[in-house]
Amino acid sequence: MGMYIIRRMLLAVPLLWAISLLTFILINLSPMDPAVVVLQAQGVPSITDELIERTQQQLGLDQPFLVRYLNWMLDCLQLDFGNSYITGQSVWALIGPAFLNTLRLTLVSAVSIIAVSVLLGVLCALQAGRVLDKSVRTLAFILTAIPSYGLAALLVWYFSVRLDLLPTSGMDSYRSYILPVLIITISYAGLYFRNVRSSMLSNMNKDYVLYGRASGLPERVITMHILRNSLQVAISIFCMAIPIILGSTVVVENVFAWPGLGSLSIRAILSRDFPVIQAYVLILAVSFVIFNAISDMINAAMNPKLRNGL
Amino acid sequence: MSKSFAKIMLLIALAATILSACSPAGESSSRPTASASNNEITYATAKDINDMNPHLYTGSMPAQGMVYESLVENTSEGIKPLLASSWEISKDGKVYTFHLHQDVKFHDGEPFNAEAVKQNIDAVQHNAEKHSWIKLSTKIVECKVIDEHTVQLTLSEPYYPALAELSMTRPYVFLSPKDFKNGETMNGVNGYHGTGPYVLTAHEPEQYATFEANTDYWNGAPSIHKITAKVLPAGETTFLALQKGEVNFAFTDDRGADSMDVEAMKQLEASGDYQIVRSESMNTKMIVANSSRSGSPVHETAVRQALWHAVDRETISRDIMGGTETAANTLFSSNVNNADVPLETRSYDLAKAGSLLEQAGWKLDAGSGTRSKNGVPLSMSMYYDSNSSSQKIQAELIQSAAASIGIQLKLVGEESASIANRRTTGEYDLLFNQTWGLAYDPQSTISGFTSENAYLHTTQGIAQSGQLYEKINQVMVSSDEQKRKALYADILRTVHKEAVFIPLTNGNITVVAPSNLQHISFKQTQYELPFELMSFQ
Repeated sequence: MGMYIIRRMLLAVPLLWAISLLTFILINLSPMDPAVVVLQAQGVPSITDELIERTQQQLGLDQPFLVRYLNWMLDCLQLDFGNSYITGQSVWALIGPAFLNTLRLTLVSAVSIIAVSVLLGVLCALQAGRVLDKSVRTLAFILTAIPSYGLAALLVWYFSVRLDLLPTSGMDSYRSYILPVLIITISYAGLYFRNVRSSMLSNMNKDYVLYGRASGLPERVITMHILRNSLQVAISIFCMAIPIILGSTVVVENVFAWPGLGSLSIRAILSRDFPVIQAYVLILAVSFVIFNAISDMINAAMNPKLRNGL
Repeated sequence: MSKSFAKIMLLIALAATILSACSPAGESSSRPTASASNNEITYATAKDINDMNPHLYTGSMPAQGMVYESLVENTSEGIKPLLASSWEISKDGKVYTFHLHQDVKFHDGEPFNAEAVKQNIDAVQHNAEKHSWIKLSTKIVECKVIDEHTVQLTLSEPYYPALAELSMTRPYVFLSPKDFKNGETMNGVNGYHGTGPYVLTAHEPEQYATFEANTDYWNGAPSIHKITAKVLPAGETTFLALQKGEVNFAFTDDRGADSMDVEAMKQLEASGDYQIVRSESMNTKMIVANSSRSGSPVHETAVRQALWHAVDRETISRDIMGGTETAANTLFSSNVNNADVPLETRSYDLAKAGSLLEQAGWKLDAGSGTRSKNGVPLSMSMYYDSNSSSQKIQAELIQSAAASIGIQLKLVGEESASIANRRTTGEYDLLFNQTWGLAYDPQSTISGFTSENAYLHTTQGIAQSGQLYEKINQVMVSSDEQKRKALYADILRTVHKEAVFIPLTNGNITVVAPSNLQHISFKQTQYELPFELMSFQ
């Protein structure tokens, strides 16, 4: 297992390098001259060629592409993503806290999503075709179809304004987590519980279940066996859900004024703050790679057959 | 069930708990909660206060307005003393001598004196190219300390808006010299200590900033003892936070966008908890036409004039703005200094607009319904700020009126920053904009006609642009009041005739405040509010 983990980690290195190169190239394809962006962001009213040239020198933009890429990558390895064009602050100082804030929200949401999906998935599979299964699926269908900002506004109005139970926005205490987590859970668990359900159902018809029943194993034990085998698919999905949520909390963060990555990235994109956008893309890509590796490792731990594939 | 799965779940749960526990939000009791009873204002703002360095431009102006002060103040009765108690101007108009208030201290206890004034003005001048929009920065030759409380400013030539520009929120305001980095402010500062009525005491980026009353304020401590700027996205979130009382104050932002639409504000007012207060006309909201875009129909005067006639200002004012703004027929309303010039009123008149286009050779194509000339269709792009609650509806109204006379308008909604960027680069036919406000109108807005970052592209393409720019240069250095008036009248007649600034309504600042808050007033600029004058009943 140890060897497997090492091999899996090594595989991630070229992937990360390719991502960093792609990020850098894409940003450099932008038609905007970063020096002009910086000067505009600083509110410089008349931008002269001289000023542009000086700013390019300051930012090191007068150097060849590969040199710039190498410098940037070496800096990134030391978690130095440069300075924001807009505020002049170090990108890490901006992204670090925002990333932690979003990670908090994501992890709490992930726990809630996994718990709800597994619970509903198992329940619906065991009750497949009956009233409970049908009503849960219909309700989930309706809830996931409502856009999350609409649902969020509705819930905030009811729980925060009407009942005065929870804060409307911000990140003040554990109570601030309840509504955003609820919204994220509804939009993801409503989809994921179907994966658990269908994978449970397909396992239920397998031979080992029949043999188990024939050997007189108690139903509870059989269900556990089915669950274990069904979760393999689900675990991959759950692991990938974490970076997906990390990268898609924009709407929820905006509605709840959550000071996270989503709001930061939108601001950076709209103001063409290239260093922040680069760092954001890189961090998300790295989280995808990491969580993908983790999901492989978990699956390998649960199913020794997979370890030899690498 | 597999043990490893249970372990992973446990691990994630643990990590989540630890992460939430180490959140800085632990101190929830000290967090901003709005309440009228404890003599605090918590206002909603769409953007963080950012870098509060008053000699650069990234900070939030309402926040900077609380912390920093200038030598003089621009009021509706003209320039009044602020940090300078009096001043003299030499006969040739080049030397300004200011006598400073004594016993004024910066928030960090440092004395405010002539030396501090000199250090601040020098620091601004060392970074002059950043400030070239404010023409005074190109005219200051020297700042000299005469004695502890007297300072002298020498200009290269007489410049009549000098005092008005010294009164602006930035850059000629004063920061404690102790906050300077190596004697400069252009590369960042160590702290944000001004002389103003409020002291910045806490700042959690992208969340909130708190300002506490300066108990040693030289002009008397303010009544409201704490002001919090809370970052909230405009729209529903701000509305709900106001309803719940988490914030109790909101106002028009520095791009002229209100955080809520007229209906939402009416609802808050009807609840009895809030009052809505509007300033007098502060600016003119308008569509600027890019006269220098030679390939586009907008280059032609007749097209711009026709579009002017196609705007139904009464409907915009009455139905879209709910009567909160009045229809504007000229670039500056008549209460702006030097702008009370009689100009032809181009009213909403589609027949007139059509005949102007017909005379200019734009023929209607029966098939497409769009006019064209020499194979060029009469089609233009109009950009609006997608953050504004009303610009899109106005744009649609204008679009449908224009379509009926054969002008095709393509509407594009973009972020405020992107709109500002288009104005600079000239990549637009038409865009929504506004004049800069009473303190800046007309001199700074007109000065902006010559600045690339402002309205150079708008004005450059007109036939008499050379003469126009010459007159703008003259008006800024003229010391003769009558001559200035005549020059301003000429300038305004030219841009009016050319229809490069198509006025819509006269805009104002809207404040949503607790109903028991008194003495809500406005400054001459549309960007700051005098919180220090407000008090609870």
